[in-house]
Amino acid sequence: MFQNRAEAFALVLPAAIFAGAVFLVPVVILLSEGFRSGDSWTIQAYIDFFSQSLNQAVFLRTLKLAAMVTAAAAVIGYAAAFAIVNLPPKGKGRITGLVVLPLMISPVARTYAWIVILGRTGIVNQALVSVGLSDEPIRFLFTETAVFIGLLQLFLPLMIISLISALENMPRDAVPAARVLGANWLQVFTKVILPLTKEGLVIGGTLVFTGSMTAYITPAILGGSKVLMLETLLYQRVTMANDFVSASVIALILIVMAFAANLLLKRLATARNKR
Amino acid sequence: MRNKLYAPIILLLVLAFLIGPFIIIIAASLSAGETLSFPPQGLSLRWVIKVFEVESFRASFGISMFLAIGGTLAALILGIPASYALSRYKVPGAETIRTIVSSPIIVPGIIVGLALLRYFVVPFNFGILLALFLAHTALILPYAVRVVSASLNNLRSDIEEAAVLLGCSRTGAFFRVVMPNIRGGILAAFILGFVTSFNQVPVSLFLSGPGVRTLPIDMLSYMEITYDPSVAALSALLAFMSLGIVFLAERFLGFSRYV
Amino acid sequence: MSDSRFLCLEKLTLSYGKNVAVPEMDLDIGKGELVALLGPSGCGKTTTMRAIAGLMEPSSGSIILDGANITRVPANKRPVGLVFQSYALFPHLNVYENVAFGLKLMGIKGKQLDERVVDGLKTVGLSQYATRKPAELSGGQQQRVSLARSMVMEPKVLLLDEPLSNLDARLRLEMRTELQRVQKESGVTMIFVTHDQVEALAMADRIIVMLDGHIEQIGTPEQIYNNPASDFVADFVGFENVFERDGNKIKTLSGDVTVSGDIAPTTKGLAWRPTMVTLGEGPYEGTVRGTSFAGGTREYLLDTPLGQIKAECDASLPAHDFGAALKFDLPVHKAAQLARTGSL
Repeated sequence: MFQNRAEAFALVLPAAIFAGAVFLVPVVILLSEGFRSGDSWTIQAYIDFFSQSLNQAVFLRTLKLAAMVTAAAAVIGYAAAFAIVNLPPKGKGRITGLVVLPLMISPVARTYAWIVILGRTGIVNQALVSVGLSDEPIRFLFTETAVFIGLLQLFLPLMIISLISALENMPRDAVPAARVLGANWLQVFTKVILPLTKEGLVIGGTLVFTGSMTAYITPAILGGSKVLMLETLLYQRVTMANDFVSASVIALILIVMAFAANLLLKRLATARNKR
Repeated sequence: MRNKLYAPIILLLVLAFLIGPFIIIIAASLSAGETLSFPPQGLSLRWVIKVFEVESFRASFGISMFLAIGGTLAALILGIPASYALSRYKVPGAETIRTIVSSPIIVPGIIVGLALLRYFVVPFNFGILLALFLAHTALILPYAVRVVSASLNNLRSDIEEAAVLLGCSRTGAFFRVVMPNIRGGILAAFILGFVTSFNQVPVSLFLSGPGVRTLPIDMLSYMEITYDPSVAALSALLAFMSLGIVFLAERFLGFSRYV
Repeated sequence: MSDSRFLCLEKLTLSYGKNVAVPEMDLDIGKGELVALLGPSGCGKTTTMRAIAGLMEPSSGSIILDGANITRVPANKRPVGLVFQSYALFPHLNVYENVAFGLKLMGIKGKQLDERVVDGLKTVGLSQYATRKPAELSGGQQQRVSLARSMVMEPKVLLLDEPLSNLDARLRLEMRTELQRVQKESGVTMIFVTHDQVEALAMADRIIVMLDGHIEQIGTPEQIYNNPASDFVADFVGFENVFERDGNKIKTLSGDVTVSGDIAPTTKGLAWRPTMVTLGEGPYEGTVRGTSFAGGTREYLLDTPLGQIKAECDASLPAHDFGAALKFDLPVHKAAQLARTGSL
């Protein structure tokens, strides 16, 4: 450790000042706008926002979809991560690479693919009609289901890699030891694997939940104005109504929800641990 | 074992879900027909060629490239010294500084873009391009600091002292013995920053003006107007570009070690 | 300036923020000496070494080297070399480039550079490893590269931080003689820091024992080993039975015990090595609480009215069982007479 303070500050301050000026200060001002009315401070904007049924519906839908995506990602994530860590080393590296790969690709491209799959003349509908399960194409696009599928595809890799590293850090003998002591697979999962990998679950869960909460592209392309989520609502309020107060309210909701999700997941993990 | 088939089946399904859509989009972009469909109606490269003919795609591609390269370089110029100070010096308030520098990763990008539009562009008459550049730099900064810090922490700090005792100045020691040893980390940070910026949508959403918008934003608005397979072709091309970069990075520096 | 005052620390005070690590230290080191700075961790020995190298700025006092005051000379301008405990080789450079690093910065080029690097590598016996990267070398080889890298700079003082601590037992012996050889051949003034008294005793011309930021004793290995000045040094070099003295009494757990023999009036304490304790006869009695066979000797731990006593005797003598009562004596004529006590 070097001791020279002046040198340390000279090195670190440009980045801190930049992030502060370009990012922190404008965002804080934006957030404060939601609490201002003329010269006084008020929470009226929040009361107004939540008194509108459309806003309530969007808020609840965003929460619901984010929670569902997180839960689905956790279930699929455990299954996939468990299968991957038990592969031989070479296969493990390759499959992990394939799982991570989509993260490097533009989310616009990733989401756009679902139009081809779920559209009126998309693969799913062609299959359904030709097999005779349905007489006419079913509308998938601009439904919550489409948004759910799009978000899950977008964020599942984050959950899988979090769980892979958690499972790899688990003591190697924990599962065989539990089996020898007579635990069935369900017990092995709830009593051994889950407690030992909860940190990975919390990290993955937070990433997936906040990612889904704050997603813009997926609800914009696959949900449209029929399935508004908080970010698409924010965009609509600003572009259509110049409504910066609602934008500020939504911004704070998004930030608060992200922190709350992190806290809640941490709490859940420790509560399970105590039992 | 009883469930020997479990792993292959699960992995096949998950990979089909994660990667299948790309294969479909690549196939759809090779269609000869007028509208987006799969399986493609005949094979042709007409939509791939069309992508290069759309004027706005060419312009926005240039802007996205500029932002991804320029923003990442700027983030590294700010981030490398900061990472160095945080890993080697006893910085008073180090935790606060770390939080400030990494805050753009926590707050949704759309809010950053809106805040810049409202408090920089509108009141101070900032150019859109400048605002985009600042926003992308701020967005990449946390990644740059994280990846570079990780490589610095893997490097023992006594080699700098050794270099100083052999006659280097403190600055000389940084360039002669620190930089050559964190080059891989810096390159990894560059690639991560590039990909993040290039694919970024929410930050750029509000920051678009006449003739100035990023490629993903341009694609979104093109999709609203037309339903032809050119966006699929462009998506496929971009996917190949990202994959190519990541493949080269992995091949030549073991990218995944750093991220 | 005489050769015995080649490197002088004068009232040198070193501190980390408000914590004073070394207060007002005075120390003279002669030209061409091989000196050990010996002490437990946290005693200030590494801090002192870093101050001599210039890696730490003293809060007061001065450092004089070869007649010049170098207290405020920056580390990169001091004629001082340092071999780091971790060797601190540059991972991106090969062995040759590591050794050439400092010479190049001095502006030495071409044939002259090559000669000095080759010479340096030859001295440490690594000529055939010139193109290897540090990661491809063993710990002992890395140590030698680090030594060569400092030696080619022809420093006036070479500092070594725990030079043997990262080596295995066999290499340690080899490196000890190697370091001594290099030092004698080059005549460089060498100071090494260690917490291992065996290492210090085996290698150094002179040992400086440090405790809590001050010097406890300076002396030749023989002086330190046979005539420790304080209870701390005595304990550190193996006098495991240490007692404070008052007149012709020693202070023990069960009160003062009279001993007979010649004790210098200035002596503040008496100390015995386990081998100095007479077993089987004598005025005191203890119970065997532990015994261990150590090849040629056998060690005993005795519970006695004087406190715990460690004794050692020839293994060929009949062994005493656990719990047996055993007579013993602490002969004053064998004891080390300590000038100071109270630092233990």
